[in-house]
Amino acid sequence: MTTATPTRPDRAARPVRLNWRVRLRRDRSLILMTLPAVVLLLVFNYVPLFGLVTAFQEYDPLAGIWYSTWAGLDQFQRLFGDALFWNAVQNTLYLSFVQLVLFFPVPIALALLLNSVLSQRVRNFIQSVVYLPHFFSWVLAITIFQQMLGGAGALNHFLRNNDIGTWDVMTNPDTFALLVSAQVIWKEAGWGIIVFLAALAAVNTDLYEAAAADGAGRWRRLWHITLPGLRGVIVLMLVLRLGNALTVGFEQFLIQRDAVGYDTADVLDTFSFYYGIATGDYSYGAAAGLFKSVISLLLIWGANKLAHAFGEDGLYRR
Amino acid sequence: MGNELNRRSFLNAAVSAAGLVAMGPLLSACGSGPAQRAGVGSEAALKAVLPAYVPNTSIKPDIPSVLGGPDVMTNPGFLSYPANRVATVSGVPGRGGKYSAVTPLWGTIPPADNAFYSAMNKALGVQLEMKPADGNTYNTIIPTMTASKRLPDWIQLPAWWNSQMNVGGLVGNQLADLTPHLSGDNIKKYPNLAAIPTSAWRTGAWGEKLYGIPSFATGFQIAGTLYYRRDLFDAKGITADQVKSADDLMRLGKELTDAKSGVWAFDDVYRYLYTSFGAPLKWRVDNGKLVHLFETEEFYAALDWNNRLAAAGYVHPDALAGDNANGNTRFYGGKTLISSGGTGAWNLADLQSGRAADPNYRRGAFNVIAADGKSTPRVYMGAGADIMSYLNINLKPEQIEECLAVANYLAAPFGSAEFTMVNFGVEGTHFTTVDGVPTATEAGKKEVQAQTYPFLAAPAAATNSPGAPQVTKDYLAWQAANVKALAKPVFWNMNISMPQAQATADAAQQVEDAIKDCIHGKKTVASVKDAVASWKTSGGGDKLIQWTNDNVLQKHGTGQ
Repeated sequence: MTTATPTRPDRAARPVRLNWRVRLRRDRSLILMTLPAVVLLLVFNYVPLFGLVTAFQEYDPLAGIWYSTWAGLDQFQRLFGDALFWNAVQNTLYLSFVQLVLFFPVPIALALLLNSVLSQRVRNFIQSVVYLPHFFSWVLAITIFQQMLGGAGALNHFLRNNDIGTWDVMTNPDTFALLVSAQVIWKEAGWGIIVFLAALAAVNTDLYEAAAADGAGRWRRLWHITLPGLRGVIVLMLVLRLGNALTVGFEQFLIQRDAVGYDTADVLDTFSFYYGIATGDYSYGAAAGLFKSVISLLLIWGANKLAHAFGEDGLYRR
Repeated sequence: MGNELNRRSFLNAAVSAAGLVAMGPLLSACGSGPAQRAGVGSEAALKAVLPAYVPNTSIKPDIPSVLGGPDVMTNPGFLSYPANRVATVSGVPGRGGKYSAVTPLWGTIPPADNAFYSAMNKALGVQLEMKPADGNTYNTIIPTMTASKRLPDWIQLPAWWNSQMNVGGLVGNQLADLTPHLSGDNIKKYPNLAAIPTSAWRTGAWGEKLYGIPSFATGFQIAGTLYYRRDLFDAKGITADQVKSADDLMRLGKELTDAKSGVWAFDDVYRYLYTSFGAPLKWRVDNGKLVHLFETEEFYAALDWNNRLAAAGYVHPDALAGDNANGNTRFYGGKTLISSGGTGAWNLADLQSGRAADPNYRRGAFNVIAADGKSTPRVYMGAGADIMSYLNINLKPEQIEECLAVANYLAAPFGSAEFTMVNFGVEGTHFTTVDGVPTATEAGKKEVQAQTYPFLAAPAAATNSPGAPQVTKDYLAWQAANVKALAKPVFWNMNISMPQAQATADAAQQVEDAIKDCIHGKKTVASVKDAVASWKTSGGGDKLIQWTNDNVLQKHGTGQ
């Protein structure tokens, strides 16, 4: 296209679109710089998508994708008739919901709190301390919980020696959702504040000064300046979180599955693993994974629509 | 003591633990790809091709083997390392051929092209390019190699992964048939290979043909057993030999558990105890009818007992929380006094780890019991060997012969000159002899790994614990006391290729999950019954039983 696109009267005038050759020449160094990332994305994220075809086959690793028998929708039929699968879906949604309610606000609150600490040194110290658990593996995190709260852990050892009875924290299926949320908060809340801190740093400090001069107290400033400043980021994070609602974590549940039992701890990812990969039933696992991806795509699309409807940017600006 | 032996010992423990899953018949999944599958062969045809067995008598063990039933005997034992290292191979076996080899390694991968590899190449007369790969992810590496048809010339495929690696589909398609070279008297060309017991060759046979070369063959292969802290039992004046029934064990649980001091009597023991209740390993034939473990009353009796054990509070809480990885730590630390595991766990490395936690540490094992205390105690045998190597089908017959000559060198008996070279390297460079025990130098620790060459071929197992003969004595005394209890399970040592649907049903994930919850006291026996009922119908269980009956039992018998 060589002609400039007509500008809409209600928007700022768009720059004239240049010939693609001109643009290519202009942006070539930028394009060259992004090329490796694009290649990586293609090779490791897009090409493997072809593996999804195994969900419609009776996949045999020896025969390979090209020679495995075509099964159509058989795997999905089996999947939808499997009580264990629906149990996993239910667990996933429940755990995801509990985590959304309990976990999501924590990093925001923590960031606000940290932002109000004036001493840079204290701030850095707290920040390092709350970041640290993020770098622990789940195996380690859960081992620490087990050592502290497990049946033979510090807490129960104390209770037992003082004849107070024992408190079953780690193996109680009824409170499992609370336990895993507590673990996620302990491990990830510190890491989660980074993006909110960055957003807070972007809030214009003149606004605070002006508001303070007008007599606005701490809470009014929080309500009228800080939170509106954070709104865009909070909505973005929420959209991403909803899109990932079916990905509540894998290792955390894999490790604790035996502690509380499969009917409590099986989420979609562990279901794919145990009933697909671990038993050599790859196509079945792939079908469960594909189902999860499709639902996730719908969720993220819906959440993004919702964000736009409320006038927020969501994942991208309209 | 030899550091390599420690590493191997560790491996044996790992192998036993992993092997547990694959005990009994070796089941291999296969789909409906274009490749032809080698199924179970006819018994008579297989017998006709099995290699002749010519035991090696050149090196006398300190503790000779004790014979049990057919194919059953205890390991020979060595209390010290033989001083006179006899050579069993004259000249170099190879003719300068060039081969690549891939083996799993549970430990630190030695540097490539190191002095030990060069010395071995010189001794073997071939350019054998060793490519050890991480054992922990080995089962995921192999399927990609087989899918792209890029197997090396020589490869180790541990038998407990037969199903996952689809060995039943690979033999004859990507792996070479060794029958013409090894069947009957042909094997006598390779005397050290001929000294490997027949049952181990059977494990590597598929559909009436020989494919696998076994390492560490043993006549005392069982999934595992119940262990106890012998030092602590002795201190309390408890004699383990008095334990004759499941009730006795339950009473021990009450006596030994002291939760306030952080001591529980038991770790998880179900996996190695359920057959004591009279349950089959997996299959049983009742009046000609094939019965699966899940259909037997004895299976539920075993679950019930374990469920009661957990409910009574005699099992360590961490074990109930599904933490098996730290089971050894609990046992060494005296936090649990009775545990269970593979027999590979009982060795020099175990003694060293245990002594690090408690200087008096000594491992003991209960004799095999019958839960009711009245029936004949019985424990089921596993396959004749777990570690199995294969040659690539693209090798020419003369290349196969060269590799087999190399295998013959690698399979030289314990204490021979070749065994010393393969396991300890060059004297002076890789090891020095201290008090009669080959001891690794720094170079030896770095370069000589017991899991490289011996994974391609190795002699039949010989128990030894250089520098600590008590371990060998204890272990072999226990073997001798229990050798008569070993029994062949239905379909013993038979390689069965089954279609994917049956293999999935055979894995019975939903029932396994229910079992875990039940023995950890979280679910009742009734919930396992429910899981079994749904496994039989929608999980393919009934079809599996039917398939196995029609394709294995009716065609090939029980293999006992």
